[in-house]
Amino acid sequence: MVADKIRSLLGEHGLLGIDPLGIPVAAPASDDECALLLRTASSESWTVRIEGSGTWIPRDARADLALSTMRLRGIVDLSPPDMVVTVGSGTSWTELQTSLANDRMWIPLDPPGSGRSVGSVVACATAGPLRTGFGAIRDHLLGLTLVTGDGRVVRAGGRVVKNVAGYDITKLAAGSFGAFGIITSVNLRLRAVPRADATLIARGTRDHLLDAARGILSSGYTPGALELFSPAAVAGTEWTLAVRLLGSHEAVAAERSAVGAAARMQFSSLEPSDAADFWRDTLARTTAAPSTLRLGALPSSLDEALDSIAHHLDESCDDWIAANVHAGVVRWSGDAGVNRIRLLRNVAAHSEMPLTIERGPWSVRSELGHFGAFRDGAVRLVYALRNSFDPSRTLAIPLGRES
Amino acid sequence: MNTPPISGLDPCVHCGFCLQACPTYLATGDESDSPRGRIVLMRSLARGSLSTTEPTLAFHLDRCLGCLACEPVCPSDVRYGTALEATRALIAQSRPVPLVARMVNAVMADRRLRRPLLGLARLVRPVAGVLAGQSRLGFAFGMLRATENGQRWGKQGQKTEKASLPAPSASSAPSALLFTGCIMEGLFSHVHEATHRTLSANGYRSTRVPHQGCCGALHAHTGEHDKAVDLARRNVAAFADCPESVIAVNSAGCGAMLKEYGRLLAGDPLEPEAVALSQRVRDVSQLLASRETRRGHTLALKVAYDPPCHLLHAQRIADAPRALLASIPGIEMVQHRDAAMCCGSAGSYSLTQVGLSRTVLEDKVNALIAADPDVVATGNPGCIMQIGAGLAAVGSSIPVVHPIEILDWSYAMAGFYDE
Amino acid sequence: MIPPEVLAALKAAVGPQWVKDARAELDTYATDGLPTHRSLPGAAVIPGRKDELLQVIRILHHHRIPAVARGAGTGLSGGALASGDAVLVVLTRLNRILKIDAENRRAVVEPGVVNTRLSAAAEPFGLHYAPDPSSQPACTIGGNVAENAGGPHCLKYGVTTNHILALDVVLPDGELLSLGSPSGEPWGPDLVGLFVGSEGTFGIATEITVKLTPTPTAIRTLLADFTLLRSAGQAVTSIIAAGFVPAALEILDHNTIAAVEASIYRAGYPTDAGAVLLVELDGMDELAVEAEASQVEDLLESAGARSIQLASDPAKREKLWHGRKKAFGAMGRLGSDLVVQDAVVPRSKLPDVLDQIGEIGERYSISLCNVFHAGDGNLHPNIAFDQTDPDLAERVRRASTDIVRLCIEAGGTITGEHGVGTDKMHYMPLVYDADTLGAMNRIRHVFDPLELANPGKVLPVHSCRG
Repeated sequence: MVADKIRSLLGEHGLLGIDPLGIPVAAPASDDECALLLRTASSESWTVRIEGSGTWIPRDARADLALSTMRLRGIVDLSPPDMVVTVGSGTSWTELQTSLANDRMWIPLDPPGSGRSVGSVVACATAGPLRTGFGAIRDHLLGLTLVTGDGRVVRAGGRVVKNVAGYDITKLAAGSFGAFGIITSVNLRLRAVPRADATLIARGTRDHLLDAARGILSSGYTPGALELFSPAAVAGTEWTLAVRLLGSHEAVAAERSAVGAAARMQFSSLEPSDAADFWRDTLARTTAAPSTLRLGALPSSLDEALDSIAHHLDESCDDWIAANVHAGVVRWSGDAGVNRIRLLRNVAAHSEMPLTIERGPWSVRSELGHFGAFRDGAVRLVYALRNSFDPSRTLAIPLGRES
Repeated sequence: MNTPPISGLDPCVHCGFCLQACPTYLATGDESDSPRGRIVLMRSLARGSLSTTEPTLAFHLDRCLGCLACEPVCPSDVRYGTALEATRALIAQSRPVPLVARMVNAVMADRRLRRPLLGLARLVRPVAGVLAGQSRLGFAFGMLRATENGQRWGKQGQKTEKASLPAPSASSAPSALLFTGCIMEGLFSHVHEATHRTLSANGYRSTRVPHQGCCGALHAHTGEHDKAVDLARRNVAAFADCPESVIAVNSAGCGAMLKEYGRLLAGDPLEPEAVALSQRVRDVSQLLASRETRRGHTLALKVAYDPPCHLLHAQRIADAPRALLASIPGIEMVQHRDAAMCCGSAGSYSLTQVGLSRTVLEDKVNALIAADPDVVATGNPGCIMQIGAGLAAVGSSIPVVHPIEILDWSYAMAGFYDE
Repeated sequence: MIPPEVLAALKAAVGPQWVKDARAELDTYATDGLPTHRSLPGAAVIPGRKDELLQVIRILHHHRIPAVARGAGTGLSGGALASGDAVLVVLTRLNRILKIDAENRRAVVEPGVVNTRLSAAAEPFGLHYAPDPSSQPACTIGGNVAENAGGPHCLKYGVTTNHILALDVVLPDGELLSLGSPSGEPWGPDLVGLFVGSEGTFGIATEITVKLTPTPTAIRTLLADFTLLRSAGQAVTSIIAAGFVPAALEILDHNTIAAVEASIYRAGYPTDAGAVLLVELDGMDELAVEAEASQVEDLLESAGARSIQLASDPAKREKLWHGRKKAFGAMGRLGSDLVVQDAVVPRSKLPDVLDQIGEIGERYSISLCNVFHAGDGNLHPNIAFDQTDPDLAERVRRASTDIVRLCIEAGGTITGEHGVGTDKMHYMPLVYDADTLGAMNRIRHVFDPLELANPGKVLPVHSCRG
């Protein structure tokens, strides 16, 4: 019945098929089609699941309709002199970067996972190690188009690097897992590909490497990436500190020697092709396990955050863990039940550390919510905001533990 | 009574760069106590959209120290000080100048009153240190104590060797006329003597002209415009006899006022002489630093130099006093935070705006105590008294003197005056 | 008019001397940094502590009286103006730096802390607060948060929103909330990001956790002068395209140079130039920055620079910068009133847009000064004029609108860092459609259902689709 309605709204090509759960999958090709679908869903009281390439968040949410971004694909507008790109949210992140590289440009963001769509990276706000030198997702976004849960097209921000006209809906939408609407396209700020790019690696104990990383930061240098990986993350036997230096040849050369001196340890330098493999493979291993969590700590309390994760989730020490020593963010990938994650979330909240479920099976997401440790008061605001974008709760996104 | 028009405010674009330079704004955080806020009030007065009788208008303008720290930071070159004087003169027409200020002005303007009263103060001065304290009266005694000859502190240095530079010959000596002023003459005669000695030791023929008197700054700043004009005329006439000589001033407030005589006497028959006088005025530190200052005896002293607002902001003289002090062998200059901020003295302000004056002073005293100098140097009588009383009130024994006094000690120990 | 019982309650909350309701005092609070807009508030309250601020907001909410937050009043969009039925809540006394956490490169401040004072307090740790609006010696961090302020060095380091990690805010109904965490990771959707730049319409930040940035140890400032403004714009594009990330790229046009050089902030800019371009490069290593500077120098030369000055010592660099930072004030010398634009265009459109702005100036016979953050495409065409001349004022108004339309047509926006306030509100429908404005309006009502926080700003009521 839902499927018939989709066909009548979008035509035959708008319906991709019926997924294994029996849910019809619609693939709108424009903002207007997207809005039409959501308006219909809203008035029909359907629930809608959003899906991208399916490599990050599994296609397992219960819903009346799945809305795929796969036909919202491709670069809409690329302006090399302005270093801005507008890209459909269904575009592959890797393909986007490859295409930008032809113009010697890139987005200095290396989200974990592989084969992801742009929409997934933005909606889940999954910044990788390059967050150290270049900031989180929010720092790269200039604007986006959001089709709200009730089917209105909101064009937030713009294509210029500075813009304070009106409220920053772009930031609200980025990292909210689609709870306010479907992101159909995003405007991203680009950078010229740095002329020099070096990766240094050191192996050792977790605490030793953490000290070394802090030594680097206290020298005043901020590398492009400064990430501590668990043995499993690098498919090795020891913890690994990976440092990525980016910039002019002179600056990278200077940083290379400064980093060694500040860390007071020996680093080995990876050949360019090995370095590319190292980062890609390490980040791709995130999705080997079913769930990924993100824990926000202060850099000085990373020990506590890592201890908590080890204690609550990773007793056998074989999970994928990455700690961003500059931002104070720990990411864990593994297999853990609802109760253990809930316990860690409560413990962490006690220490002012938010725990976000970036991905996981529907059982985990729906039971715990992507966030779920809202502080008093803020929860009311968040739900009121959602209500203003999606009044009939069309989008089946569990933000928190909702009752 | 004549009042000059309120002018010089047009370039203000309300950018707010003056805010953080203003001691009263920093003390209260109230826009009405800021230069920008007061400019709004003055403009409203000038336009006639507010009258002088408007409640709180005079209140906030009275609270201005007149330190002029807002002027150097103004990118639009707003003439705040000029407008303030005109505004105060206008306000004085509808509301009397505060009684305390009027009394002070009257005493300073008239030698017959000044001499006996300041003479009496000098009699009390030896016991003032004992009575100095936090209370109003105690603070007054602290101010009086600060006017004492600083000589006794200068004796901390050890006499070891004679300085090498010979005294310059007096034959080609340029002449410098000392401006004696009012309170400087009455309570700081030792500074005048030190000025005379150090100028002489550096090859100036230092003399005084008769019939000079109070510069009128206190009167101009409090709104007694006509009285200020009278005093200016008297000084212009007194100094007109020796038109070739520079006028040496050791009080920053007086120097700033004398430099304004041309403007103050605009349209007056004496205007050309007033303009000429203004151009002849030099701070004593400039005279000494303009040539290689003679090096005296070593003084092992840590000195904190606190620039008087009317030297730093009004006259824009920043380097000369520091250079003068730095020329003394053995002196270590210590820096204190926010040195360019006003001490809260501001003429009779410390008497008319006791609370705010003390709030502003508190920061200064804390900054100086943190820097821990042996001696504080500042080239204005009001500042010496205010900072001196502030330090005394918190039990500090750090003396406050005029920079020229420290140079004088160094010269005395070097034996320059024995020759 | 504020009812006497409300004034009495406010006086009881903060002390009678901190409630201003005399005409003369309110006069000083009738404008912010953009004096072409003026509005006499019903009263002004200056709370001295956070709990006093909460009480003030609760009293006003109880009586349904609008509250308008004001920092140092240096904003350039008429955003901190209150009408006669509203109370101005002045935050200058909430000026304590609560914490400098050097290890984590963070600080926690009250909203009234002045931007440069925070950097001064961080300086002993080799850190600074990076966003540097030209008004930084006066403006407050709270105001920076409200406006999402930028500044010359935001090209490399990002604007205010990129440096705010967490906020404690009091909502218009008096509820106190914590948004964000000290780590910068949110507890839910990014409410910190939403709050920053909301121009005081969502509530008032009472505590602000900011990032501190290591202060670069090696800095080079280059000043190139060009015969044509257009060439300076092209130089900017070529520097960025070559992969440099200068700390700042600033252009001053001929009229601005003249104003600066005639003020006490004269910086030695060549007064016969069509434009000067300031480029700043920084880093932690002298040799690396030196090498970059010489490469940029080559680019400037090939873009047609007549002469290039390179400064490395702080005093000289300071002087080159001083003229830029005080340019706005220096324009006060050109006319008694000043219209300040803040439009942004894509960088590649700079040369064309600048030419067309010049034509607009000629068409309306007005004197235009262009001083702007060229690396960001953020233009500040300023018009000095005399508001008492009604014909001139009208020409200025029309020229301003033409400039804004031109920038929007070029793919830009109406404000890059000054905010919408009252000044640019009527331009909002030119950049956003009704659905987008409607979404903004609904967000506002989530925070402020009774429209008590800075009402009448940012969103033009009639253009929003419910």
